[in-house]
Parts: sequence; structure tokens; C-alpha cells
Amino acid sequence: MLTIKNLHAAVDGKEILKGLDLEVPEGEVHAVMGPNGSGKSTLAHVLAGRPGYSITAGTVLFKGRDLLALSPEERAREGVFLGFQYPVEIPGVNNVYLLKAAVNAARKHRGLPEVDAFEFLTLVREKMRLMRMDESMLSRGVNEGFSGGEKKRNEILQMLVLEPALALLDETDSGLDIDALKVVASGVNTLRAPNRSMVLVTHYQRLLEHIVPDRVHVLVKGRIVRSGDRTLALELERRGYDWLMGEAA
Amino acid sequence: MSAALLTRLQEEYGAVRAALPESVTAAGRRREALETLCAQGLPATREENWRYTNLRVLERARFAPVQDPAGTLPALPEPLEGFARYVFVDGQLRSSAAAPHGVTVRSLRSQGAAGAGWEFAAELPEARLALLNEAFATDAVSIEVPAESAACGIELVFVAAAAAQHGASYPRVRLALQSGARLSVVERHIGAADCASLVNSAVRVELAANAHLTHYRLQHCGARAAWFDTLAAQLGAEAHYELLAVGTGALTARSSVHARLAGAGAQFTLSAAALGEGPQSQDMYALSEHLAARTRTLETFRGIASGRSRVAFNGKIAVRESARGTDSRQSLRGLLDGPEAEIDLRPQLEIYTDEVRCSHGATAGKLDENMLFYLLSRGLAPEVAGHLLKWAFLEDVIARIGLADLRRQIELGLAGQLSEAATLKELL
Ligand SMILES: Nc1ncnc2c1ncn2[C@@H]1O[C@H](COP(=O)(O)OP(=O)(O)OP(=O)(O)O)[C@@H](O)[C@H]1O
Ligand SMILES: [Mg+2]
Repeated sequence: MLTIKNLHAAVDGKEILKGLDLEVPEGEVHAVMGPNGSGKSTLAHVLAGRPGYSITAGTVLFKGRDLLALSPEERAREGVFLGFQYPVEIPGVNNVYLLKAAVNAARKHRGLPEVDAFEFLTLVREKMRLMRMDESMLSRGVNEGFSGGEKKRNEILQMLVLEPALALLDETDSGLDIDALKVVASGVNTLRAPNRSMVLVTHYQRLLEHIVPDRVHVLVKGRIVRSGDRTLALELERRGYDWLMGEAA
Repeated sequence: MSAALLTRLQEEYGAVRAALPESVTAAGRRREALETLCAQGLPATREENWRYTNLRVLERARFAPVQDPAGTLPALPEPLEGFARYVFVDGQLRSSAAAPHGVTVRSLRSQGAAGAGWEFAAELPEARLALLNEAFATDAVSIEVPAESAACGIELVFVAAAAAQHGASYPRVRLALQSGARLSVVERHIGAADCASLVNSAVRVELAANAHLTHYRLQHCGARAAWFDTLAAQLGAEAHYELLAVGTGALTARSSVHARLAGAGAQFTLSAAALGEGPQSQDMYALSEHLAARTRTLETFRGIASGRSRVAFNGKIAVRESARGTDSRQSLRGLLDGPEAEIDLRPQLEIYTDEVRCSHGATAGKLDENMLFYLLSRGLAPEVAGHLLKWAFLEDVIARIGLADLRRQIELGLAGQLSEAATLKELL
């Protein structure tokens, strides 16, 4: 699904990703952990196509295609979804409108007709119940005045409605209370499928109790320095990152 | 201002004065207005307050009014339920409706007795174009609402149908609400798409104690028109004047608004939105003068400039010595779309007393990149995302349009103007 080789990326002349390799096969859920400032969000943004980064070396293949050659909107329509660490508030743009516009953009890309308005609302309502979100949020501005946890739930709601092929969830668990964490995790779990892959960026082993990853990677100073199964997350929880810092040098 | 221009102004007046109706403005008053104007000179771009207006059109203009308004009209907007519609073509009443119960609506050209006309207050700081209107007006509509009248609606549609070489049009309106009266007025300025007309309107608003006027002003003249406008409002005690102005049309548009909050507890709410594109200039000057205790001004402006357009808003709030306990808030925001577009926002405060609460903020900037990327990351095309954000930007003003039918009309118009893409219309 996703193959990253020797990725180097810089922002404002500062190199953040320094030869990153990562392989996420179809149907798998991978966790990426790492200290603050190690480049996790940078990786997620680069994959989603955020402007402002210069890719100085490396390749990224998504479903066998050169992902970096696509515009951000093309990536989204092809099935890449970024759940933002800090979801943006857009007052005046209606939540449900954005959802619908996003779904229709992807459908048009695939040569499908626009979604039926009634079916669409029914689907959205169902997903909202799953996310334990109040329906009144639909008519509010995108993330406008949402609490931190509500914003994260809204990201997952969008993911559930869009059903992406590759979901990159950047610290979707941060700022969630214990119940919300379970809700979000079960939302994510419902999307696990043989033809779908996910990358979870997280600081906490706790999320991985609910969403059991196939692989865990450690990102330090712009590179993946260690990969392992889920027990690696437990080890990190116990030992922290110090013992791995040397390997990044 | 050149002497030649003034001479021409007087010559044009001399040539038409015999045909100007006495019932609209008496001949003596017209002459006086013209003399004052000539003494003061027409506004010039070098004046601080007129820097953003394209005044060249005045140099070429034919000031004499259109005498025989065109027979054919552009399509009129859908009527609004519950609003009595009056249509004016090149300043003159063309068709009227039954006035709401108790309300008097009079066209002074046909129904005015001698001396029925009115003048603009001498203390108006930006009266020159109103004086021009006073000298040349061919009709005027006077709307009077008796005390304690229940809310009702009137729609005034001003159509600029003639090209400027056939003369200018001078819409002239007086809205007078007696104490406790309520009224909603929709005032539209429209025009033929390809017609370079010159419109110079003058509106006077008088609100007695406790009166409440909701005034929607929509300027969508044709793309080649020049639209000038002067509005003066006088507010009595506890009166509330709610003015919502949306300007999208004309090649050059300038509106000068002067609200005098003369009675204690009076409130002026101004919400304005302007959209400039291509070579347009949209300029608004609003002076809110606090003369009495506990008066309030709430001012919101949202302007978007794209292409080579210029959008300007100069909002001045003056708090006189007598106006203790004044509360004023200004929120002015501009959105720049393109390297050649220009936005000028000027919040001004002039305070001569203590115990006032005044807050103002003015920001102009580009589209927010974080918001833009968020929308792109959801698959939206860059054009659609841009239109959507512009749309959202105007919402602060548009959402205040309490009249659902009208809001929808405006939203559809804006959606059409912001984007040809049908996607945006879907949002409504
Ligand atoms: N515009 C910029 N200019 C310079 N440095 C930047 C810029 N943007 C990000 N960085 C730096 O890049 C590094 C990686 O940031 P990134 O957000 O990817 O970290 P992260 O791993 O997601 O951290 P966290 O766990 O705190 O979310 C940080 O040191 C950050 O300060
Ligand atoms: Mg991060």
C-alpha cells in the first residue's frame, strides 16, 4: 500500500526527515511512535501533500504510484486521509457541507454520480451515533468551537464517511478522555479491512491496547530507527526513548 | 477640481432647471444646493476621505438627470413576501404597490405638494454629493410610519437603465418613523449589465424615540456603472437603526453614511459586506456620531478584493462630550485575493468624554493557508476551497440578514459571483 524509501524533507531550509524508510502493506495497521519534534507530523503532512515542504530525496509509492507527484486533493480523492493532530477550525463552512463535498469529490474522481442527499444523511447520522457525536454538530462550522476531543472525533467521523484506502492518524488519541478513546478506537477498528491500511501516530501505548497494531515503528530525528511487533510499544512505555537516541545519529 | 467642471455643472443645471419638479425640491433650494456645492467643489481623490473612490467618472459625467426613463427594464429580483414593492427607473417612480396599513408612501414627483421636499442637514460632513442630488433630483420618495405601527415591509428597487451619456439618475428617499414605529426596508440598486450609468442617491432616515428600522441596502448595479450614495440618519432616544449593506456591483461604488445618535440609548448596527473583482472599486465611509448618553454602535465590515479591485472601508466613531456611557464596537476585516488587489480598512475613534467602552479591530490578510490545506486534504478542488473560504468570510455579515428569503437571494447571488461551480450553491 505505502512504500517510503530514503525520504528527506526540509522546511524553511531545515531538514526534518533524514532518510526515512517505511513499508505498510495492504490491510495492516502500523503505529509510529517517537519523541516530540522527531518528525512524525512532518511525515504525515508530507504524505498528505501539505505545501511548504521540500522533498530533497527519496520516493513514496502509494498503491504502486508515485504519491509525491499528486496534488493534495488528488491524494485525498485517491484514498489518502490525514487525521490532523490539530484539526483546523473553519467558521462559516458547514460541517455536513464539507463532508458531502469531500465524498462527492472522491466519487467524481472515480466516475461515480453524486451521492443521494437522503442516503448520505442517513449514513452520516449512523456514523455519528457510532462516534457518540451530537447531531447538532453537523450544522455547525467545521470544528468551530469544538472541544479538543470533539475535534478528534470529528476527524474520525470524516474518515468513517470517506472510507480511505490509507488513513494517517496523527495523535488522534491526544486530548481524549478514557471513554472517548474507546469510542475513537472502535471507530477506527470498524474500518480495519484487508484492502485498507492505517498509520497511527501516537505517544501512548494505551491506544494500542484498543487498536492492536501489526507493527510498531520508532521515529527519532527524522528516521525510523527501530521496528517491531506490538511488544515494542510496551518496551518504549517502560524504557522511554533514550536508549534509541544513539541509533539515530 | 477644475473650474471648467464647475462651469459645466452650472450650465447643465441652467439647461434643465425649468424641467425639474418643484414638488421634489423647490427651485430656490436647488440653486442654493448647487451654489454650496460649487463653493465646496466636488470631492477629489487627493482628499483623504476620497482616496479610494474612482472620481474620474464625475469629470466625464453628464450631470443632468435622465428625463425620459427607458421603457424596457432588466429582470427584477424575485419579490419578497410581505413587502410592498416600488420600482424606480432612473430615479423616477415607475410602479407602486398598496402601502402597508397606516404607512404613507409618496412619490413627490406625482403626489408632492409644493414644499413637500426635504433637505439634507447642513452639519453633514460629507454632503457634497447629496447636494448634487438635491440640485438635480427628478423624483423623491417619502415614507412615513405613524407612531407605534407594527412591523411591516417596503421594498424600493432603483433601476439604472440609461447610459451615462443620457444623463444621471438621482434616487432620493426619506424614511421617517415616528415613536415606537417599526419598519423593514429593502433598498436595491440594480442596472442593465452593459450600461455605464451614473447613479447618485441620497437617503435620509429619521427615527423618533423607540423606533426600529431594519434597512437592507443591496448594491448590484451593472458592471460598468458608477454608483454614489449619501445616507444620513438621525436617531432619537432608544431608537435602533439596523443597516445591512451588501455591495457587489458597479465599476466604482462609494457610499457615505452618517448616523447621528442624538437620543439617549440609541443604537446603530451597521453590517456591511463588499465584494470587489476585476477593475471594481468599492468604497464605504461610515461616521457614527455619539451625541447622547448610553448610545451604541456595532459595526461589522467584511470585504473581499480580488483581481485588480480595491475595497475600502473607513469607519469613524466620534463620541461627543455629551455621550457618556457610549459603547462602540468595530470589527473590520478584509480578505485579499491576488497580488494586485487592494484593501484599505480604517477604524477611527474620536473620543471627547470618559466612561466609554470602545473596541475596534481591523485586519486584512490572505486566505488562511491552514484552512485551505484542510479543505484540500479532504479532496476539494483549490478553486472550490477558495470560494468556500471567501463565502465563510462574508458569513459574519450575511448571517445577520434576518429575512430568510432575502438572505437566500443574496447568498445565491454571492455564490454565483464567487464561483461558477455549482458546488457552492449546493451549500445553501
Ligand atoms: N516551519 C518550520 N521551520 C522550522 N522548523 C520546523 C518548522 N515546522 C516544523 N519544524 C520542526 O520540525 C521538527 C519536527 O516537527 P513535527 O511536528 O514533525 O514533530 P512531531 O514528531 O510531530 O512532534 P510532536 O510529538 O510534538 O507532535 C520540530 O523540531 C519542529 O520544530
Ligand atoms: Mg506531531
